[in-house]
Formats: sequence, C-alpha cells, structure tokens
Amino acid sequence: MIRRSRRSVSTGHALISPADWRRPGVRWGLGGAQVLLLVGLVVIGLGPLLWLAKSAITPTLDTLSHPMALFPHGAAWNNLREAWTNVHVGRYFWNTVALAIGSWLSQIVIATTAGFALSVLRPKYAAVINALLLTTLFVPAVVLLVPLYIEIVHPPFIHHSFIDSYWAIWLPAGASAFNVVVVKRFFDNLPREIFEAARIDGAGPFRLFVAVVLPMSRPILGVVSVFAVLASWKDFLWPLLVLTNPDRQPLSVRLPNIQSQTELGVFLAALLIASLVPIIGFLVFQRSFLRGTGLGGALKG
Amino acid sequence: MAAIEFQGVSKIYPDGTRAVDSLDLTINEGEFMVLVGPSGCGKTTALRMVAGLEEISEGALLIGGHVVNDVSSKERDIAMVFQNYALYPHMTVAANLGFGLKLRKLSRDEVRSRVQRAAATLGLEPYLHRKPGALSGGQRQRVAMGRAIVREPRAYLMDEPLSNLDAKLRVQVRAEIQKIQRTLGVTTIYVTHDQTEAMTMGDRIAVMSDGALQQVDTPEQVYRRPANRFVAGFIGSPAMNIVNARLTRVNGNLIVRFGEHSLEIDDEVLAERPALLAYEGKSVILGVRPEDLEDVAFAPGGSNERTIVTVCTLRETLGSEVLVHFPLAEPAQDATDAGELIEPLGDASSIFVARVHPETKVREGESLRLAVDTRRLHFFEPESGLAIYGDDDAAASRNGRERVQLQPASGLGS
Ligand SMILES: Nc1ncnc2c1ncn2[C@@H]1O[C@H](COP(=O)(O)OP(=O)(O)OP(=O)(O)O)[C@@H](O)[C@H]1O
Ligand SMILES: [Mg+2]
Repeated sequence: MIRRSRRSVSTGHALISPADWRRPGVRWGLGGAQVLLLVGLVVIGLGPLLWLAKSAITPTLDTLSHPMALFPHGAAWNNLREAWTNVHVGRYFWNTVALAIGSWLSQIVIATTAGFALSVLRPKYAAVINALLLTTLFVPAVVLLVPLYIEIVHPPFIHHSFIDSYWAIWLPAGASAFNVVVVKRFFDNLPREIFEAARIDGAGPFRLFVAVVLPMSRPILGVVSVFAVLASWKDFLWPLLVLTNPDRQPLSVRLPNIQSQTELGVFLAALLIASLVPIIGFLVFQRSFLRGTGLGGALKG
Repeated sequence: MAAIEFQGVSKIYPDGTRAVDSLDLTINEGEFMVLVGPSGCGKTTALRMVAGLEEISEGALLIGGHVVNDVSSKERDIAMVFQNYALYPHMTVAANLGFGLKLRKLSRDEVRSRVQRAAATLGLEPYLHRKPGALSGGQRQRVAMGRAIVREPRAYLMDEPLSNLDAKLRVQVRAEIQKIQRTLGVTTIYVTHDQTEAMTMGDRIAVMSDGALQQVDTPEQVYRRPANRFVAGFIGSPAMNIVNARLTRVNGNLIVRFGEHSLEIDDEVLAERPALLAYEGKSVILGVRPEDLEDVAFAPGGSNERTIVTVCTLRETLGSEVLVHFPLAEPAQDATDAGELIEPLGDASSIFVARVHPETKVREGESLRLAVDTRRLHFFEPESGLAIYGDDDAAASRNGRERVQLQPASGLGS
C-alpha cells in the first residue's frame, strides 16, 4: 500500500503534483496531516498488539500493579517458556498448525479441482452443479451444524466415527461452496485461447491443470489460502464439538479453558504466541495475494 | 505432413449462427493455402475445426486421409498460431517455445537445441528469459509463431500471424515463414486480411464470404479470372471498379455502355468469354481494374472507342503510381433500363478509381481522358454475380477438385 502511494506521487498522477509538493505551505500543511494520520493509524492498528507483546514479557505482578509502566522490574522472558512448556501451549500450537494445514490443503485441492472441472472442462451437467453450489451459499452455516455433526459421528459408508480425529475438521473444511464459486469465477476469466494452445501443444486435462491453470491462478490461490488459514486458526465452535480430547484440541479451544488456571503473565504470553503466526503469515504472503492477476502479455490488446 | 480435406464441412454455433457453410476444400500435402475473406466470414472457425477446438456440425474433416472429426487436438498433431497469441503468461519465452516439445517427451537437449534454432530464426534470442508480459506486441507475435515452428507438426494453422508487426518486420517474417514452410514442406493454412500476403505467400488462395467458399485457385488465376463479383471486388487493391452496364451492338460491334460512357469489346475478349454473346441487349455487370485504366498521355495508340472522358475529383500521389478518382455520370437515361437493375450499383455517385502513371499531369477538377485496356474487362451475370466466361462455368476455376460455390455473393463493396 505504501509502495503504491509513493509510486503514484512520483509518476505525477497523484492528486497533488510533485511541483505542488515543493511549495512550503503544501509541504508543511499536508505533510503534517499525513504524519498525524499515519501515527494515528499505527497506534490504533499496532497498539494493542504491542501492548500484548509488552505484557507477555512483563511479570504478572508488575502488570497488575503498574499496568502503564514499561518494564519497571525488567522483562520476564520466562513467561514465554512457561506458556510453551508447562501450559502446553506448544502442543496446542502444533495442533492448530496441523488443523490449519490440513484444512488449507483440503480447501485448495477441492476448490481448484472443482473450479477446473466446472470452468475449464465444462461437462454438460456443469450448469446444474453450479446452480446447486450457489444455492448452498444461501444456507447459513449454523443451520448445518447439527446435520454436519451427525454426519461426522455416523459417516456414510465408513462406519467409523470421526470424532476426535482431525479428519472431522479437514473434510468439512473442504466442502466450501464459497471457495469453489470464487475459484471458478477466476478460472472463467482466464483466456480460453491459452488453454486451447496448451491442448494443441499436447497437454491433457491433468497437464493443463498443473502446468497452465494453477500457475496462472496464484492470486486467487493466495486469497483462498489466507481465508482458509485464518478461518481455521480462529475457528472455535466446530473443533470444540468434534475434538473432545484436550490433547488434540487447538489453541482457540484451549485458551479460554486454561485462562482460569494460569497466571496472567503466562496466559498473555500464550495469547501472544497464538496471534503471532497469522500476523507473520500475513506479512510474508501479503505480496503474493495483493499483487495483480499476473496475466501480462498473454493476449494482444 | 498431410493433406487436409474439408468434405461438406459446416459449423453451426449453438445460437444458430452458420459460421461455415458446407465447405469443400482440399489442401494438398505440403501446400501453402491462404484463406482470405472479410471479417466474420468464418476463417477462424474453419481453422479451429481443423485444430479440433470446435466441433464439426456437419460433414467430414480429413487429415492425412483419415476422418478426424472425433480425434482430439493433441492427437491431430498440428500447430496453431492464434489471432491473439495466447502465450503462457507465467512461462519465459524459452518455456513457451519448449512446452509442446516437453509434452511430446523429447530429450532435454533436443528441446533446448530446437528452441534455440527457432529463437534464432525469429530473432528472439535476447528475450528467451523474459516473460510475455515484458515483450512488445511484435515480439509476442513472434513467440506465438515460434511456438508453432519448434514443433514439426503435420500441419501449420496460422490465424493472421503478422497483423501486429510493423511493415519491415512483416516482410522479414513473411519471407521467413515461406522459407520455413518450403524447407519443412509442412501443409499450411494461413488466414490473412492482407492482400499482399495473400498474393505473395500462397500456392493457392481460398476466398470465403459469409461462411461459403467463393473460389479456390492460384493467386494469378484468382486475380485474372475471378469466379464471381465478390472475388473480383475482394481481391486486388484498390478494388476493382464495378458498375451496372448494358451490352448493345452498334455498327456490328459489340459495345458495353455504363454511365455516360461506352467501350468497344474486342474479339479477343469474346474469344475468352464466348458466353458474352448471349447477353447482347441485356444488362451485365462490368468490372474494370484500376490498373487497366491509364492516362491517354501514357497510353499511345488508344482509339476513341477505348477511351473514356471524365473529370478527376481526387488525386492520390503514392510515389510509384497515382490514383485518380472520378465519378460516373448518370446511368443510361432510359427508364426501362433502370427498372431492370437488380442492385443499385452504378448510380451517379459511384466513384471509379484509376491507377495511372506517376508522371501524369492531371489535377483535381480537371478533365481527364483515360485509355481502357478493353482486353481486361470483366463481366458478371447481374442476378447471380457469377463471372461470364465460356459455356462451361467450371472453367472459372481450373481446379478440377474444387467446386466453385455457385451462389450470389452478397454485401459487395465497390
Ligand atoms: N462462439 C460463437 N457463437 C456464435 N457465433 C460465433 C461464435 N464464434 C464466432 N461466431 C460467428 O461466426 C462467424 C465467423 O466467425 P470467425 O471468427 O470465424 O470469423 P473470421 O473470419 O475469423 O473473422 P476475422 O477476420 O474478423 O477474425 C461470425 O459471424 C461470428 O460472429
Ligand atoms: Mg478470425
């Protein structure tokens, strides 16, 4: 975002031209306003996070007695270690990661293959499936909770309950009509001629999917991935229902549970650990999904 | 390398559009066939049917003697250059060129050397590691060409592959395509709008209009003996002048009257077009190519019977030649004549174009005497638009295997 605004100023397409910027009135007035706005945004956006980070490494007593003071008696890095090992946040953390990766994988695989079938291969009955998919979008998730639960307890054909197994999370995660619709929309807008060129070049459906369609779909894969991981990371209700064994539960389910039995400083450290991954993930991957569609040069005009 | 044969092939799109109408056409093994026609006449559709990208609604398509209606694109083993390139945006130029080879399980060295060779031919070596997004339109077009020539397919299908190149590059790549095609001897169907490309590149030209084939023949024959009014008006630039006319006999000589002009018809013309005699006293459509009109100052020995006197309204100096525009005055005065006209062709406003000697002195608004090469006049049947040659209309196209579509051409521009 910052890059974009800087570029637009420098190319002169901004509301305020570079020449205007050289006038002192504009420079100080507008410049000052910009700085204030930026500081305000940083405080609102980053403040709570930094506050959490600070509290996580402050001894509990200090946090309680001088909540506003900055490390009056030094930092307590110990909180983090304690949270990770004694409170088993480490284990819950890895549980969460396993759930997120599995959910992500199942969502990506199903969304892309279904989107590919409906958009590129287009069998005769694709229109019907598409309509059915869209209708499921109108059903609120809460309504599905009970039927889904019954399905997981008594899955068809398998005769083995999925309760306490991660499959209970992974499989329903994949069944997302929303993802399929989003991905299909994106595939619909890819130029057909490229697929045709690949077919003439000798690519079968599988090759077409792996070597042409997927690489051209990085932006939408990024979007779906971020949604998938975030949703899985913060999901509370469904894991609480289907994972009864505390050792297999994710952070989102365990944290409220351990709050009452844990010292405040250690609990805040646990919260920090829980929130770090989504933040770091966003920072690392933001470029790949905020970027344009990356189709430059495929077609003329 | 294989012959491609359309046998009564039609394409009807789901919305009912008949984009190609019972096409009968054979492209011989190793032949360079140019497909021309106005925009929307079904050229791309025909090509896509050969490529296996479009289902064939009626008829049979043969490649190498086998019906391929139900054979997949992959197994047809043809290469196609798309009208809008269709490059793989996420691959480098080298990967774009090598993709088809890799899929056909060639060894890595073989792929690399073939890509190198194609890139060298098309001047793409400096860009091998760039992605299509970082190339100019002309460079992209060359990559699209390269993707076809790296493979050694049974046929090339090219859909206006040079439309985006500048004049110089176009000449260069045009020559390159011809050279490649000759050396490899690959059967080629080449779609173009460009008259020069059509005339210079093709072994034969197939002219299409509204989904129907109008004529197939060598470039010279299509130009010299167009099968109908449509082909006559479409091939050649500037286009042939076309006007309603009437044949009469004066003092024993056959005369063609159009507008306020009249020209004598030589015995030579009659020898070539014996059927013309039957039109005495009737309406015909007269066609005169701009280059068969010449400023009398540069055409000595022309008699009055072969000259028209008119006024120049526009002079276009092109360097090597001058184009002179002049109107035809009111058509034949008697009302009965006008009543017989099928289509309003030669009305008062219709403008003729002559291509005359570059040193001509004629200026706009001045009177102009033009000598007409009456041996090269073209005559068409007013109703069907078919050219009038001998009794045997099939002679219009000397090609025995190709059937000339005997139907009136519509939407003529003159
Ligand atoms: N998918 C389609 N559905 C319906 N009609 C179509 C479809 N594709 C093409 N057409 C129609 O078929 C006709 C032939 O189209 P085609 O693309 O073959 O023309 P073309 O000769 O290649 O024209 P151009 O020189 O402009 O490329 C046109 O009238 C077009 O509108
Ligand atoms: Mg076309």
